[in-house]
Amino acid sequence: MATASVYKGAGFDFSNEVRNTFLTERGIPLPKATSTGTTIVGCLFKDGIILGADTRATEGPIVADKNCEKIHYITDNIRCCGAGTAADTEFTTALISSNMELHALSTGRKPRVVTAMTMLKQMLFRYQGHVGAALVLGGVDATGPQLFTIHPHGSTDKLPYVTMGSGSLAAMAVFEAQWRPNMERADALDLVCAAISAGIFNDLGSGSNVDACVITASHTEMLRNFVKPNERVQKERSYQFRRGTTAVKKEEIRSLIVDEDITHLTGRGAAEGEAMDTS
Amino acid sequence: MDSLRIVPARETKPATTQDTSNSFGLHDTLQYGPRSLAAEVTTSSKIKDRLENWEATQDNLKLQMHRQVFGLHMPMRLLMERKLASHNPHMPVLPQSQSNLHLDILMGRDETLECADFMMPVSEMRQPLDIHADMEKKLRM
Repeated sequence: MATASVYKGAGFDFSNEVRNTFLTERGIPLPKATSTGTTIVGCLFKDGIILGADTRATEGPIVADKNCEKIHYITDNIRCCGAGTAADTEFTTALISSNMELHALSTGRKPRVVTAMTMLKQMLFRYQGHVGAALVLGGVDATGPQLFTIHPHGSTDKLPYVTMGSGSLAAMAVFEAQWRPNMERADALDLVCAAISAGIFNDLGSGSNVDACVITASHTEMLRNFVKPNERVQKERSYQFRRGTTAVKKEEIRSLIVDEDITHLTGRGAAEGEAMDTS
Repeated sequence: MDSLRIVPARETKPATTQDTSNSFGLHDTLQYGPRSLAAEVTTSSKIKDRLENWEATQDNLKLQMHRQVFGLHMPMRLLMERKLASHNPHMPVLPQSQSNLHLDILMGRDETLECADFMMPVSEMRQPLDIHADMEKKLRM
């Protein structure tokens, strides 16, 4: 290259583009990225924010992970729930978490939720929705508790209670019926669990347990597997075989111990042995 | 060229044989493999064009605003500083080991991480012939 560009570049390799266009024109479709069903919610209460999520990750019709974590760490006082393609939400939140840390070190102040929201929305807009991450971002910073929702194409909303994912309608129905401003912590936690449970029981893409995260001005509490409505039932019969069920016909023992004889020549042997010749 | 675009425009760059040409001026099949200009021109990938032109478009917007507010000298000085910082008199080396902190600071990306920083595919063994070709290109211009 004559003069190297000062720009970093896209970070992605598009050399298969011509081949892919050729194949799609011939009628061979591109493989679709699997999107995970989820129910994620967030709501504002008297002292801060409560985020909730289910714990099922699906790969088409199969449950890929029965107990995955959907509430990701951004900073100490900011958390983000992710719906959509699992890899996209994980990498996006990890990237933004790193950028927030660098930004906080640079400014010397505690990070704000709007900063994370702006970074996320600018990145998602740049990728035109190809990064399939629908996020619920919540936290408490110097300006108070903030709750945002970010859609895969980069649009954001600031609301007192939000739901995203395939179970979002079930959860939103619960919120619309029972949310009121300035709830106590216990009431708000019950409401969040009820909303996630509605998603778990009424949506095939969501299931397993309920995770919750309570963020207040003083501290953040992560309640992993707060409610477990889908515990596996203990098996009624024992399927262990009793010792002696099958008879032993032949027994052969081979010793794998290697015998070693260690003779110390220095140390203990120095008194009776010869001293080193250093002439 | 006085545009204040935030997002790259939809037009695609035409494909040329200049970037893969050998010493005869034709496409170098031995080094780059077969190539079809017709297929490349008719392929329109919106996301590829958008991502590859993103930084240049945003940069252009800022320089254009600087020009309109402060005068021509402002973008001129900024571009001069960038050119000085990106000048590399050494032999062309594999791109993965080149890191220019001064240039990063001038471009404003010294305190951010992007996908390109940690997701670039690890290029395995590069052919040693590349160095000769790069030096040839560099010295002939």
